[in-house]
Amino acid sequence: MKKAAIGLYATITVALMIWGFYQAIYVAPEEQTMHEVQRIFYYHVPSAMVAFLFFAISLAGSIGFLAFRRNRPAYAQISDAWALAGAEVGVVFCTVVLITGPIWGRRAWGIWWTWDARLTTTLVLWLIYVSYLLLRRFAAGPQMQTLAAVLGIFGALDVPIVYMSNRWWRTQHPAPVFGGGPDSGIKDPAMLAAFGWNVLAWLAWGVLILALRYHVERQHQKFAAQEAQDALDA
Amino acid sequence: MDPRAILDHQFTAAAYIITWAIQLGYLAWLALKWRAQKREASRSTRNSR
Repeated sequence: MKKAAIGLYATITVALMIWGFYQAIYVAPEEQTMHEVQRIFYYHVPSAMVAFLFFAISLAGSIGFLAFRRNRPAYAQISDAWALAGAEVGVVFCTVVLITGPIWGRRAWGIWWTWDARLTTTLVLWLIYVSYLLLRRFAAGPQMQTLAAVLGIFGALDVPIVYMSNRWWRTQHPAPVFGGGPDSGIKDPAMLAAFGWNVLAWLAWGVLILALRYHVERQHQKFAAQEAQDALDA
Repeated sequence: MDPRAILDHQFTAAAYIITWAIQLGYLAWLALKWRAQKREASRSTRNSR
């Protein structure tokens, strides 16, 4: 039953990805000033939204780990697995953002990169979470999870700064698509539909790989606990 | 065809291909990690018996 549900979810996700791609490439009209290169937006912005969501999950997991680590170790391990899964999958989506953005920028601005507030804060966010993953990969000992949780919380503080950066400071990055004042928003319904489908598709895809990453980490935790128990029994 | 339109098309295609390469690459890495972990767990269970 569980396998069938996962299979069904994966099938729906793949169908959504194909539909989102079709909408972005063939249905949405060409933007008048940026022309075809504007279609990068349909992958770039949803990837950023999903990255932010997963960093928020990592934040919740990190807080949960710190809250439960003394009195409820089982809950603490579950929280830690969510924190790691959220950070790792968030980094994957943030990498997509940091690569597709400059590809668009090269055509739209004539440069690959500029040290403006939105770009720089996003790069800092990516670097913080890469540090988080490196810490988890190479540090050892009982304090590793606690240090990672603290770093995860600090990393998440950058998310609202990234989001607000092109509202607080004058940046070269385009104005906010949503919530940026009366002129913001996508006016063309076909463009809005293409954007909406891609947000849904990337969210579904992200949830699928997030769940898989969580499952792998939980298996790893159980295996490590079993090995520790075997070593004690020997 | 207008050379600017060709370049636009190439840049858009590159962005889409790179996005998929990153996502599918990560999925493949995760699947390999999962399989290796399963093998390790079953080997460890056999040894402890």
